[in-house]
Amino acid sequence: MVKQIPITEGLFTWPSEKPQLIGGTCKTCGSYYFPKRSIVHKPGCLNEDVEEVLFSREGKLISYTWQYYQPPPPFKSSEPFVPFGLGLVELAEGVRVNGIMTDCKLEDLKMNMDVQLVARKLYDDEQGNEYMTWMFRPI
Amino acid sequence: MREVAVIGIGMHKWGKFPENTFLDLAAYAAREALKDAGVGWMDVEMVSSGIYKHGGDAGLLSGNMLMSRLGEIGVPVVNIWGACATATSVVRTAHQSVASGECDLVMAVAGDMSPLGMLPTISKDPMDPIFMRFQMIGLSNPAYWAMECRQRMEKYGTTELHLAKAKTVCSKYGALNPNARYRKEFTIEEVLNSTMVVDPLRLFEICATSDGAAAVVMCSMDKARKYTTKPLTIAGVGLGSRQYGDPTDSPGMVALPPTATDVPLLSESYNAARNAYRYAGIGPEDIDFLELPDNSSWHYLQYPETLGFWGPGESEHMLDEGETMKGGKLPICPSGGFAAFGEATAAQALAQLCEVVWQLRGDSGERQVEGAKVGMAQSYGLFGSSGSIVVKK
Repeated sequence: MVKQIPITEGLFTWPSEKPQLIGGTCKTCGSYYFPKRSIVHKPGCLNEDVEEVLFSREGKLISYTWQYYQPPPPFKSSEPFVPFGLGLVELAEGVRVNGIMTDCKLEDLKMNMDVQLVARKLYDDEQGNEYMTWMFRPI
Repeated sequence: MREVAVIGIGMHKWGKFPENTFLDLAAYAAREALKDAGVGWMDVEMVSSGIYKHGGDAGLLSGNMLMSRLGEIGVPVVNIWGACATATSVVRTAHQSVASGECDLVMAVAGDMSPLGMLPTISKDPMDPIFMRFQMIGLSNPAYWAMECRQRMEKYGTTELHLAKAKTVCSKYGALNPNARYRKEFTIEEVLNSTMVVDPLRLFEICATSDGAAAVVMCSMDKARKYTTKPLTIAGVGLGSRQYGDPTDSPGMVALPPTATDVPLLSESYNAARNAYRYAGIGPEDIDFLELPDNSSWHYLQYPETLGFWGPGESEHMLDEGETMKGGKLPICPSGGFAAFGEATAAQALAQLCEVVWQLRGDSGERQVEGAKVGMAQSYGLFGSSGSIVVKK
């Protein structure tokens, strides 16, 4: 039985048909950050009263590129390497998140276009288990 | 604070030297700097050394290792890491030591040997953002620059010709520099025909990763006159870090806070430069040439604006008009820049400083910027690290 396994646990809700990034917010200064372990405060706030937040799945594509070379380890992908898109996405909460662009070609991408978060396979192992990460797709 | 002079510089040429260790290169640069200053190793009262990140424990203790190599003299050693801006922090620590009166004569030194290919992480923690951005996103440093570049193209109409031209103008000077790794003048066609790496940036529009080392001897200005009749002054050294809300997607980051409209792009570099200007008591209008961190053609266009040499969106015009060349308003990277050197992370800002000194001494041969009296070296590194050094005659 093939399993779909997040490459790193605790970054997005899984299993889920509508996965969301698991981030955090500070109850004092109202900062948003991702992932929830990488706590960020607004300057001047020294409180650590933070709570978990599931971020909106929809956002705007601030910028993008298409990467034609295989990045160095620990990146792993299915063989042979296939060039892929990367984007910076502003979610409804204002926090900006980098991610792989999926279900698209370079020509499909436009500045400020609406995109949606999905969880997809980056690579699999010999047993056929699929290792998942978050990605964005044009809506 | 005392006035601080730079009296000696030394550089091991940039390239790939698989037969050597980083200490071979650093020791060479240190000996050259001592020779240039006319002082001995025994005269050095403190060593500020760049950490060599890929060198294991020896790399973390680079200054102590160098001390063994050149002779253990018991003086203070400080080992410093600040990503690609490491050497500016190395210079700052040495500078402060003399300026404060702690020491009279000090050495700033760094050597680095890059792993092949795109620079990897040394982290093993999946929650470290610098590990996570590779593991979960495959986001290499040039991909961050490509995304910034695309925004600039959208905002200011930058063309692929501008991106190619930034490389060709640097390569003109690199071809004349005996310490450069790539001593070749590139044509626009060659650059435009190079492989697309991270759209819109091509292979020849992104700096290579290199091996290299450089060292500088500094001393108090009153003592400097013992060694040279024409000492140069380190007018200001400034460091900076990233501000909350910076629009820039800085290499190493997985996620960023919301954009703040009142925070400039590359805020860490903006802040570093303002700190250096304040220390030096001068502004960009007083500076005759600039060694900037041209990690990519985007950096070449963005940095003069970030540092206040001209307004946002003006670099393309300046480039087209030849204003970034010798004889122009602001000659940029007369050394040939990263485009001709490739980057040897921890040592790069010291290489920039060496070029600034050669230029101000009038020793740059065919690369010489005529009449240069004040020069600036600007660094830029991972996760919002940056520093600026201003040197004057």
